[in-house]
Amino acid sequence: MTSASAPLVSIRSLHKSYGPHIQVLKGLDIEMKPGERVVVIGPSGGGKSTLLRVMMGLEKIDSGSITFGGKPYISSANADAKTAINTDVRRSIGMVFQHYTLFPHLSVIQNLVLAPCKVRGEKKASATQRAQALLERFGLGGKANAFPAQLSGGQKQRVAIARALMLDPKLMLFDEVTSALDPELVAEVEQVILQLAEQNLPMMIVTHDMWFAKNIASRVIFCAGGVVVEDGPPEQVLGSPREERTRDFIDRVFHIKQ
Amino acid sequence: MSLDFSVLLRFQEALALGLWTTVKLTLICIVLGCSLGFLVGLSRTSPSAIVRGIASIYVEFFRGTPVLIQLFWIFFCLPLVLGVELSNLASGVIALTLYMGAITSETFRASLKSVGREQMDACIALGLPRRVQVTNVILPQAVLRAAPTLLSNCISLFKESALVSAVGMADLMFVGQNISNNTARPVEVLTIVALIYFAIAFPLTRAVTLVEGRILKKLAI
Repeated sequence: MTSASAPLVSIRSLHKSYGPHIQVLKGLDIEMKPGERVVVIGPSGGGKSTLLRVMMGLEKIDSGSITFGGKPYISSANADAKTAINTDVRRSIGMVFQHYTLFPHLSVIQNLVLAPCKVRGEKKASATQRAQALLERFGLGGKANAFPAQLSGGQKQRVAIARALMLDPKLMLFDEVTSALDPELVAEVEQVILQLAEQNLPMMIVTHDMWFAKNIASRVIFCAGGVVVEDGPPEQVLGSPREERTRDFIDRVFHIKQ
Repeated sequence: MSLDFSVLLRFQEALALGLWTTVKLTLICIVLGCSLGFLVGLSRTSPSAIVRGIASIYVEFFRGTPVLIQLFWIFFCLPLVLGVELSNLASGVIALTLYMGAITSETFRASLKSVGREQMDACIALGLPRRVQVTNVILPQAVLRAAPTLLSNCISLFKESALVSAVGMADLMFVGQNISNNTARPVEVLTIVALIYFAIAFPLTRAVTLVEGRILKKLAI
């Protein structure tokens, strides 16, 4: 490939299984350009969340490789080999999880400044200032000293996004971040992510919310059975899919919505 | 024979000294024992089978044998093995710390398990080094979750510490037995000694309930 923009992420032949019988990823190839917002959709158990967890360096892989910004990031020769993870590269990736995973014993502001202070050695005063600014921007200015248990699900998830952004990630991974929320709280979280999209922050999103997928994606990947079935612009994959399996899935999802 | 508690008035000072020894011994062993217990609890989740093995042997041994025998062993055998004479207090501290370490390690193991994989995922996603994961994320949560059980462990230790009287350490129990032998009034003396233990242990058991209610509810963990 000789395109002007070198890929940000390049996933090659990624295989991952849980135990000897459950193969989740069966040779995944994905290339992501800088500034792209990739939404991954597909049936449960199709490997979407596993893909994101692998990209965050949370899972061992069987074989395959991932490069990030041209640098080797994750690789493994075979299932018995150790998965090599470049932790320096990992620090430039941020992730938000379905269940918030805030630290319950720390206040909102402490949740935000922990990593910048401990990982990058940033001064507490400067980290606190940045954290406060970020909270204001996400409509959480008054919640700096609250504990996670005192927040609604939507507020918790916005805090979790702010916490990840404190490390200035070059890529954000969102793993079903609105799935655990009450329906009326979904919009406030999606608004925040749309805000980030306007700044061209590259992101990979796993979601079941097709409205959100349509609004945020610059590209949609339909993943099923551990492989990429269809990959293209949102109008194509969500609007008039070429693959039979994608069409079935989209039909069923929209049918449930009615 | 009628009960006469007035004999005890002469021994206030001796009882106070005995109580002080008991409290001192208990407090030292709580601090050392809980620290040991946390490290052992953490070791039992270690990826290394050898570390896990050593930790489990230690825990199972001290949980599965009578504290009294552990005490005798440390008081009489350890000096022979080490070739140094240990003071009463030192021996008592070693014995009860090892016992407390084994008991609390089980408490910590359960609470460490409940801190859960999602918190670890968050730590990794934020790039926190292992040292920070343990001291800033896992330890505080494990201690908070374990707090009610740990307090119960501490109350047990306070009462179990009476066993050191059997090896001649002048704690509250030992002083009580001496007074009872000298005055031939075992019922009165032991009743009062029991009341002193109760007066300290009971508010602590109330505190367990308070801690459970307040802290855990606020943090919802």
